[in-house]
Amino acid sequence: MTSRRAFIKSGGLALFGIGFGGVPAFVAKAAAVKKMSRLYKKNKILVCIFQRGAMDGLMAVPLFNDAYLKSARPSLFMSAAKDTKTAPVIDLDGTFGLHPNMKSLEPLFRSKQLAIVHGVGSPNNTRSHFDAQDYMESGTPFTKSTDTGWLNRASGLLGHDGSPFRAVSLTNSMPRSFYGYNPSIAISNLQDFALQMKSNPLAANATAKSFEDLYDQASSGLLKQTGKETFDAVKMLDNLDTKNYTPANGAEYPASPLGNALKQIAQLIKLDIGLEIGFAESGGWDTHYNQGTENGTFGRNILDFSNSIAAFWTDLGSLQDDVTLMTMTEFGRTVKQNGSGGTDHGRGSCGFILGNDVSGGKVHGIVHPLAIENLEDGRDLAVTTDFRAVFSEVADRHLNINNDAVLFPGWEGKKPGVMR
Amino acid sequence: MIPAMLRFSKFVAATIIFISLFAFVKDPARIQNDITFKFPYKEAGLTERQAAAHLLNRFSFGPTPQLVDEVVKTGLEKWFMQQLDGKIPDEALQKRLSAYDALNLSNTEANKLFPRPIDVLRMAREDGVIPKDSATDEERKLYKKELAAYVKEKNFRRQPELYRQFIAAKILRATYSNNQLQEVMTDFWFNHFNVSLTKRDCAMFIPAFERDVIRPNATGKFEELLIATAKSPAMLMYLDNFNSAATADETNDERMKRRLQKLSESMDDSAKAQMMQRLQQRRKNQGLNENYAREVMELHTLGVDGGYSQSDVTNAAKILTGWTIYPFENSVGKGIRNVIEKMDETQLKNNGFIHEGDFLFAMNRHDKAEKTVLGKKFVAGAGYEEGIALLKMLAHHPSTAMFISKKLAARFVTDEPPVTLVQKMAKTFTEKEGDIRQVLITMVSSKEFWDKSAMREKTKSPFELVISTVRALNADVQQPYQLFNWMDKMGQKIYYFQAPTGFPDRAQYWINTGALLNRMNFGLAIAANQVRGVKTNLLDLNNHHEPESAGDALVTYGKIMMPERDLTATIKRLSPMLTQPLLKPDVGNAAGKTGSIKEPKQISDESLVEDAMKENEGNNNENMQGGADKTNMMAQVVGIIIGSPEFQRR
Repeated sequence: MTSRRAFIKSGGLALFGIGFGGVPAFVAKAAAVKKMSRLYKKNKILVCIFQRGAMDGLMAVPLFNDAYLKSARPSLFMSAAKDTKTAPVIDLDGTFGLHPNMKSLEPLFRSKQLAIVHGVGSPNNTRSHFDAQDYMESGTPFTKSTDTGWLNRASGLLGHDGSPFRAVSLTNSMPRSFYGYNPSIAISNLQDFALQMKSNPLAANATAKSFEDLYDQASSGLLKQTGKETFDAVKMLDNLDTKNYTPANGAEYPASPLGNALKQIAQLIKLDIGLEIGFAESGGWDTHYNQGTENGTFGRNILDFSNSIAAFWTDLGSLQDDVTLMTMTEFGRTVKQNGSGGTDHGRGSCGFILGNDVSGGKVHGIVHPLAIENLEDGRDLAVTTDFRAVFSEVADRHLNINNDAVLFPGWEGKKPGVMR
Repeated sequence: MIPAMLRFSKFVAATIIFISLFAFVKDPARIQNDITFKFPYKEAGLTERQAAAHLLNRFSFGPTPQLVDEVVKTGLEKWFMQQLDGKIPDEALQKRLSAYDALNLSNTEANKLFPRPIDVLRMAREDGVIPKDSATDEERKLYKKELAAYVKEKNFRRQPELYRQFIAAKILRATYSNNQLQEVMTDFWFNHFNVSLTKRDCAMFIPAFERDVIRPNATGKFEELLIATAKSPAMLMYLDNFNSAATADETNDERMKRRLQKLSESMDDSAKAQMMQRLQQRRKNQGLNENYAREVMELHTLGVDGGYSQSDVTNAAKILTGWTIYPFENSVGKGIRNVIEKMDETQLKNNGFIHEGDFLFAMNRHDKAEKTVLGKKFVAGAGYEEGIALLKMLAHHPSTAMFISKKLAARFVTDEPPVTLVQKMAKTFTEKEGDIRQVLITMVSSKEFWDKSAMREKTKSPFELVISTVRALNADVQQPYQLFNWMDKMGQKIYYFQAPTGFPDRAQYWINTGALLNRMNFGLAIAANQVRGVKTNLLDLNNHHEPESAGDALVTYGKIMMPERDLTATIKRLSPMLTQPLLKPDVGNAAGKTGSIKEPKQISDESLVEDAMKENEGNNNENMQGGADKTNMMAQVVGIIIGSPEFQRR
């Protein structure tokens, strides 16, 4: 394996120019043509999307023939019949459907790149957003004091201490999943990853050089090493133009936070600078009021969600082989709609896994016919698949890390077969 | 005999009065006399000034040359005692804090003024302002408008405003308080007993948690601190003890299940649903929640290797069943309100309930069986007192003495403190019954504290970096929240750390590429006066002396910002650049730039006067352009100092 350090020693970074922040355009272009490749060993990449607020899995992927669901959700149930006012649910397999606004993901399901797991959730039955997200992101559903996130531990297990960009969250703050001691970056806009010298742009090079020299002689090993990595990282992103980026293959990202985040993750992947774990968030899933059907809160949200993912996948093109995308949400919502046209906090929801090594075209998991005795606590879609089973299998099969004792301490279970 | 004794006792009384009067009037002298310890910094080869700087690096949010002078003048030991007492007047700080009106609200008042959105909605429904079921779009529009009017009428304020004020106050205290050690210790204990604004249900109680629970106990007895946190609404909510109750009576549960079985045969869905719901409700109200019991041992007292078992956790949780929050009007605690409203205070007391401020011990939820924790038997039915006994036992446990001592040493000495030091501190902890101030004195009196290997060995957290910067620059912080945003960018969103562990206190956690880059950017921004609402004046900082050159600026500001630090290596490393035109803007460009400023139409009367004055000041051959360059140059040098590896350490 070529580590980045070995690469730097061999002088490869000279490509980025001698100066700091001042890479001549022709060098940048040359680098872009060569795709700057082989800076790192080609890694597998896992991209995770956390749907905060608890997505209603029964609306995204409904049991569209289920009489119980229909009666429990008089104003929210959507049918597959073509003669209704609203667009029909997309029939996936005769039992499960896709929300009509998810039609951009349908082709990926048909081509067996997209798998769905239904009835997924936490063994801890808390219905608090905070606790459930906390447990899901720490990966320890009964332990509050885990101070690291499961994706940070995954990054550690990958053990590539090369790129500063191995774990990047396209969020303002570090998500719980990224807490920990393995280097990771939280940044909502990659363009901000630079020395900012608005007051005196003329002095930018000199200032950068000063910092670089100072860190080079730092007596603390940690500061010295991290300083070096920082300047390397800045140079790597120096010619990244996020504003004028043109996605490949005609991909069109929605102009939403999720769309922007995925677009930037795609850019990082294409730069080939060692990204292994990408993270993005999608909000607004806590639909207690007026959840709506096609054009309601949920409908708009799921449209953005689906179109962002579809655009990302199209944009990746031939790089799809390296990438698996997985979604997660803290819990599902009540089967029955509430008094204000929404749904309340429930238990099982569904997750989406997209990739070329995914056992796609299938709805995995166990969903019993909806009936009061089959529901958890008489009200919620039962959790039949532990989220750790899914996360663990994806990490194992895609990233080749199978140390559950570290990734999900205390968990031993069967993997649901979502990966090929 | 008798008159003699009387006379004698009179004499004693008079002496006591005299002594205490003397002590009262000559307070500093008393402190001086009380000092029974000596800091062994000379043995470590440090000068008094170096030692003062080290002490300030550990027990303040950042030293300045003036503070070093002050500590030396006062005497290191005496300064430390004054800081432990924490009673130095703080008018300047108080004046700044007086701009915020929500800092002194009780939980009840905060709850009334800044209600949770969910409570606002419920109140609006109850008051008939909005319909109970507002499902259609039409109704929704109506309800939005009505709700806005309702909020206005009731004068409700948004919760984020409460948190902004709270965060601003922390930044101002850390920056301007004369009682720095109190702020440092408050920060330490808050992090030790971490609660998080990310958990919405407990967020509202956090300002009062810090103010009433943490700060007053920051240098007191650990036992009192622990018990105060255990009873605080913030902690009860954050670690879920507020709804922990004795496990449902098995027989009752079985009976309900059997009825459910019967019902499921009858296919009566609504009855089934009802029964399920009742069962669910019972379970919700009557379930043991072990979260707090586990964390109080693992994180607050014994430590993860402190020698407790799962059975100890479960039993401790049972002991703490019924420890909950006294219901707030129109907010949390509706379930328990129904129970206690049926009784007056005397009846509550007679039934074993305890009501103290926001705390409620609800006897009806308490597990009344006998329990055993760490080998100690807790006799059945002692109610509230069981919990107190448990917490006292934990507070004084030998594992706790070691765990707390190690954590203090990691904060104040090095990330991996020497075992010898931790043992000394633990011994004091045990002998002085968890007296935090005594443990600190033992630590600072140890040779390990002053060892060369401990000097500048701690890496500043983002909070510490930001505060030490504004202190070193003597900045005027008008909008503290802007600094909070920078801390967030550097990886420390204060008060929002989600896990009960609190922020890790290790360099490795703070230093990564993204964070480091933002540390440098912060330095450049603040030195160039580009952090909104935070004003710096580099000339003022150097008594209006303009450094002659970039090299001069580096030496001068280096000394001001890192007093008593050996900066030879930093200066040497930078000097080739300082003599080159690197730190000067390109002359041609700069001239062009300045030229444009000089266009007549842009010159106001005011700037004309300023120009005239500047030219008057300008000795040598300096013109305006030189002045602007110098300001830029100074900002750049100071920016580099703040972003330098040396300034990341304390």
